[in-house]
Amino acid sequence: MRNVGSLRKTLASANLGLFWFFVVVIIVFSLVSPVFRSGPNLRNILSGYSHIGIVAVGMAFPLLLGGIDLSVGSIMGLVAMVVFDATLLLHLPGWVAILAGLLTGILAGLFNAFLIIRVKLQPFIATLATLVAYRGLTYAISGRQINPDLTVVAIKDPLLLGVDGQTGQIPYAFIYLVIIVIVTMTIFRFTRLGIDLYAVGGNPLAARLAGIDVNRVKTLCYVLSGFFTAIAALVLTSRMESTQEGLGGGLELSAIAAGVIGGVSLKGGIGNSFGAALGAFLIGTLSTGLILIGVTGYAPQVVIGVILLIAVGYDRFTVARGNRNWLRRQKHNAAAISSATSQS
Amino acid sequence: MSNSSSNSFNRRSFLKAAGAAAAASMVGIPSLGVANARTNRAAKDRYKMVFIPFAPDTVSSAWSQGIAEVLKVQQIIDYQLLDGQSKVDVQINLMDTAITQGVDAIFLQPVDSVAVGPSIKKAKDAGIPVLTLNIDSTEAHASHVEMNHYFGAVDIADKMAQMMGGKGNVVILNAPPGIIIRDQRTNGFKKGLEKYPDIKVIADQSAEWSRKKAQDVLSALMIANKDINGVYGVNDEMALGAVDVLKTKGLIGKVVVFGNDGEKDALQSIEAGELTGTQYTDVFQQGRFAGSAAVVLATGGVSAQAFQSQSHLLMPYFILTKDNVAQIQPNQRW
Repeated sequence: MRNVGSLRKTLASANLGLFWFFVVVIIVFSLVSPVFRSGPNLRNILSGYSHIGIVAVGMAFPLLLGGIDLSVGSIMGLVAMVVFDATLLLHLPGWVAILAGLLTGILAGLFNAFLIIRVKLQPFIATLATLVAYRGLTYAISGRQINPDLTVVAIKDPLLLGVDGQTGQIPYAFIYLVIIVIVTMTIFRFTRLGIDLYAVGGNPLAARLAGIDVNRVKTLCYVLSGFFTAIAALVLTSRMESTQEGLGGGLELSAIAAGVIGGVSLKGGIGNSFGAALGAFLIGTLSTGLILIGVTGYAPQVVIGVILLIAVGYDRFTVARGNRNWLRRQKHNAAAISSATSQS
Repeated sequence: MSNSSSNSFNRRSFLKAAGAAAAASMVGIPSLGVANARTNRAAKDRYKMVFIPFAPDTVSSAWSQGIAEVLKVQQIIDYQLLDGQSKVDVQINLMDTAITQGVDAIFLQPVDSVAVGPSIKKAKDAGIPVLTLNIDSTEAHASHVEMNHYFGAVDIADKMAQMMGGKGNVVILNAPPGIIIRDQRTNGFKKGLEKYPDIKVIADQSAEWSRKKAQDVLSALMIANKDINGVYGVNDEMALGAVDVLKTKGLIGKVVVFGNDGEKDALQSIEAGELTGTQYTDVFQQGRFAGSAAVVLATGGVSAQAFQSQSHLLMPYFILTKDNVAQIQPNQRW
């Protein structure tokens, strides 16, 4: 069981290679660019990519199941629009808007789980459908369509604006991420849900035979994905003092990329939230660093694509090697047993 | 082609005098010494400017080329084109990075007018002038240089109505909601059609700026409505998508199709007798204007506090059809 390993095992499952690659990247950029190694730049990377890290941690749950949640980008747009409507259209107080936003994220995750468990759709298909549906819903409920004057109005509610900010040089979004990583790592390592989750992700049939309530685990995973996305949406809404219908478009790919780069296997059962968060910051560090050393246009995206390919390749390589080692051990054991029996 | 000037001229509030002078003469001398006592930017050897567009696509690349032309002449300005990935949160990150770098001017085509506001404010606080292209921000900033969306669309509607003989059904292939340009162009177009009571807008659907999407939308609309006499694509890509559909149905010449922007492909299509017309803006020139203004602002020691009220430049434009498309020279085609 991976969930009861040591810290080294945590790092290993978060892709130790990634960790060292990250260190090298930081050293190289720091040497080349004086701006890169400045405090404000570190703050920029922390504030600019924490929300992607938060979504990536949420995404890690379905991924660990061997599932996927393609709808996170649309959930982000929907949650932000609910918050926008609640404050600017309905003039509700900030705490109501925040609760409504979080609830929207939970319900969206719950509906994904319903489609996957009750309607028995493949997670890819189910969340692809809700990716389209939630985005459509966002346009439908958009306060900016209902009252076009609101397209140029900023949110003024102090509580809502206080969601994003910084204490000293540390952005709030990063603090949320750290808390979320600590909480989720605790779930993974020390709770029944964590054990069940890796079991279901590793082998759903065996998990069911072992008496695990597979549907309950699945539901929780998709709900958590929606919930964490809602938190990220609140951060962005607060930062932009507004939202737009297209907010979060393509976010699912960033989150999946962060997870995969961070060692979360798309086949399920391998990886953790720490790795996913680290993956988000690796993407952020590369994007920012490449710009700071003067790379222009589309090129930074190409580099990140290549890194993703390497990470996925590495993932497949380790899985294959793991399988080979397992086979070798089995053969070795069988040989040992047969020699032992023949001696006696 | 004087239809543009009369409308736009009185609405045109030029850049700050110095900016306009530099733009017109196309020379921005680094030590221009703009008369401004509140100088807070020290003179230095090298300057740096960045452009944060939606994405480096056709229009943005042409702007960038215009900007780069002007900046290169100065020989002391490093310039970098970035990719906003059409995402407002990416643009916010890029703004943060640019501010941390301490660039001397930021060109910005905001994905959203309100959402970039806090970032623009941060830039102003750091003393960095921000110049927006085509899409304005609610946060006041140094300068805004845009195509004449509203009056251009009024003139498109007028020309289109004349070519349709003053009657018939029109469909609009529109941008997705939530973008100011969409409203400016749609409202202008409808305003222009008010003079023609026999022309009806029977559909107004989003085709998401995309040629492919426009093909799908128009095909679907043509099944529902047999009698479509005119199509207005809010950008050229969507108008060209409409042309693709009409070609397969053999309706070229029977349906009047107008685009907007005036990109190279659209002009070629007009010359080939397929697309009926478009609103043409010299986007290179738009970039040069923005670039010139930025040079003056950055090297002239104009302080960020001077941008209490921003300057606003509306680009001149032409409504092009087969009759006059030839007047656009090869070096004006983007």
